[in-house]
Parts: sequence; structure tokens; C-alpha cells
Amino acid sequence: MTESNVPVIELRHVDKHFGTLHVLKDISLSVNRGEVVVIIGPSGSGKSTLCRTVNRLETIDSGEILIEGVPIPPEGKKLAAMRRQIGMVFQSFNLFAHMTILENVVAAPRSILKQNKKDARAEALRLLERVGVADQKDKVPAQLSGGQQQRAAIARALAMHPKAMLFDEPTSALDPEMIGEVLSVMTELAGEGMTMLIVTHEMNFARRVADRVIFMDGGAIVEENTPEEFFAHPQSQRAKDFLSSISEH
Amino acid sequence: MSISALLDKYGSLYLQAMLTTWRLTVISFAGAMAIGLIITVIRVCPIKPLRYLGDFYVQIFRNIPGAAMLILLVYALPYLKLNFPYETCVLIATIMIPSAFCSEHLMSGMNTIAPGQIEAARALGFSFFQMIRRIVIPQALRSAVLPLTNLLVATMLTTSLASQVPMRPRDLTGIVSYINTRDVGGVLAFAISAALYCLTALLLGQLGGWIDRKVRILR
Repeated sequence: MTESNVPVIELRHVDKHFGTLHVLKDISLSVNRGEVVVIIGPSGSGKSTLCRTVNRLETIDSGEILIEGVPIPPEGKKLAAMRRQIGMVFQSFNLFAHMTILENVVAAPRSILKQNKKDARAEALRLLERVGVADQKDKVPAQLSGGQQQRAAIARALAMHPKAMLFDEPTSALDPEMIGEVLSVMTELAGEGMTMLIVTHEMNFARRVADRVIFMDGGAIVEENTPEEFFAHPQSQRAKDFLSSISEH
Repeated sequence: MSISALLDKYGSLYLQAMLTTWRLTVISFAGAMAIGLIITVIRVCPIKPLRYLGDFYVQIFRNIPGAAMLILLVYALPYLKLNFPYETCVLIATIMIPSAFCSEHLMSGMNTIAPGQIEAARALGFSFFQMIRRIVIPQALRSAVLPLTNLLVATMLTTSLASQVPMRPRDLTGIVSYINTRDVGGVLAFAISAALYCLTALLLGQLGGWIDRKVRILR
């Protein structure tokens, strides 16, 4: 198998429990290079947990998670090195509160990749320009709107040149008028060929941008299909119920 | 004796004593911060036995009276063939005890950091020490400026332990007993020292408040 055929992200028979709750049930999925996979499902279906297992912010009980065919190391420096290759964007932005926006983007390339100050700054400014918050670069996160913070958080993740990006409900904490600006940055990223695994409740976005939609319920993958097929002809009763409950309002 | 007579005769000694107290305070606080930082990193490191060791250190030095520790250092250590100068003994006590409090302040400073920021740092690939250095300690320090200012004042007052050993030059408390054994300075001799302690504490308080306003983290 040549390298381009190896999925960037692959989960094999992943199981996880929180106490007696079986949150992930025999999950297998893969995300290929350049692919955009969107995970949808009701609250508590395990989709966020699944997303967080990919870079081991959540441990798993059994199964395997591979990044470009290499199993994720359990801990230590090797795990940190693996995480560098996967960008992550959180629901609550999680920008570093004591740094300016520019410092947030520069921090990881400087500390981890040992980039020199000039290059790191230039690259950070380019990224901030790209997500449209370059004019906010000298402010601290608390001075920005949620949408601006989230776009800066995307720039921070991109500064590490990740092989793939994870989005864990990136617009769920945003006011409605700011959701669009974040989704448009994500749409652009997808258009540029970024490999993305996205957990979201934005169905229109999923329909437009996803190459594949995964529907989860009760900790298991219930359906996996192209967005056209999934939204037009959901196979399972649970997916039908979920989609109709959304379209009602 | 009147205040003016006291100051005439002992003014330069008071000045020297104040400088001594200031010097002891600066060295003690710098040492306490350095050790407090190290202990704090140990208390949050991934290795469990080390974490227990850090907690143990804090429990010991937070709970030992300064005078008791000084007695141990001055009278017990020579039995172990460890003969430190008096000033070193004082400094060990005035560094170790405040360092335990410093660590507690930093721990509570750390608790102000949203867990999401730690997750973000891990997701970016920061190692433990990179994360501690760039994300955790700067925020912990900036959130703990006011309690650390308290600690600085308390450390200054703790340096009065120096009066309990024959250390030269004398500190602000030591100078009082010196004067009162040679002259009848009475309560006035104390009052002058007390005023100098107060003045210093006031300045430190102002400085701490100013730094706090400068570095406070917007949330």
C-alpha cells in the first residue's frame, strides 16, 4: 500500500466506557487524505468523545487508533509528537488567556517546533489574515467576540501545519450571527484540501461541505453515507427520527 | 530618651538595621519563590510519588514555627557536623517556610486556569514542561500577585527571627534589644522599628497592587 492510500485517521473497533456507561461501541471509521467527514447525532451519542479519542484527550478501553497507519502512543513525548500532527478546535475556543491573539498563534511553533521569532510571526500574521482576525492580533482573547476567538483558535491549530484537523462542535458556543463566519473559514479549509473530522449540529454545513456523513446514536455508528444520500434517504429509523426532529424547527 | 535623642545616637544603626531587614527580605523572598515554583511543578507533575513528596514538603514547612525551625538549625545541625553561619540558619528558615506558602498560592493561581486551555496545549503537542513554562506558570503567577504580596510582607516580618541569633549586622528587631540593653529606649525604641516595618510593608503593598493591575488576566 502506498502512503497516499493509508487513511490519515483510522479507528478500529474502538470501545470506551465511562463507569457503567458504554459511550463508544465498536467504532470503526477512517478519514482519508483530503476528506471531510462530519459526525452528527443527538446529544450524548458519543460523537464528541469519539472526536477527542483521536488525539487521545480521551483514552480508550480497547481497539486501535492510527494516524497515517501508526498507532497512537499511550503517553509521553511520542504522544506529544503525534498530537502535533493533528490540529484541534474546541467548542469553548480555549485560547490562552494570558497571551495576545498573535502570541496564541506563535506559542506552539516557537516552543515546540523551535521556529525563529520572525518566521513564526510572519506565518501567524498570514494565518490570522486568512481567518480574518489580523486586526485583532494585539488584543487578548477576552476582548474578542466568540466568532473571532474561534477563528483565531483555528489559526493557532493551523500554525502547526497539521495533517488533519478535528473540530469538536466548533460553533455550538457561538451566537447565531457568528456561526457563519466560522463555518465559512472551515468551508475554505475544506476547499483547500484539508483533511477534517467535524462534530457539528450544523446540518446545512454538513450537506454542503462533507464528503461523508456519519450518524451516531447511543455510542455507535448507525449510518455512514454521502450527505446527499443520508439527508435524502436516511436508512435507519433513528436517523429518520433525528432528521425530522431537527427540521421541525 | 526622646525620639530625637534615640535617632541622634542610633540613627545610623537603625538605617543599617533597615537595610539588613530589606536584604534578608529580598534574599528570603527570591529563594522562597524559586523553591515554591519548583515544589509546585513537582506537585502537579505526572509522577505520583513526586507529587506526594511535594505535598509532604508543603505540609512540613507550612506547619513548623519559625522559632522552632531556627532552634533546630542553630542547635541541632552542629550534632550532624553541619555548622552554618547564623545568617545562613536564619535564611534557611525564612526561605523554606515562605516557600511552602508560595506553593499554595501558586496552586490556587493554577486553579484559575480553565481546563480547556490545558487540553488545547496538549492537543497542540506541548510537552509537560513546555506547557508548565509557557501556559501554566505564567498564568498562576499573574493570578497570585496579591496573595504573593501578602507573602512578601509576611516574609519580611519573619526575618525578625534574625534577632534571636547573634547575627551582625542586626536587623530591625535585633537593634531594639541592642539599644534597650545599653540605654533606656523603652517602647520608643520599638516604635521606631515598628514604623520602619510599616513603611516597608506599605511600599510593598503599593508595589503589589500596581503589579497586579499591570498583569491581571482579562477573563
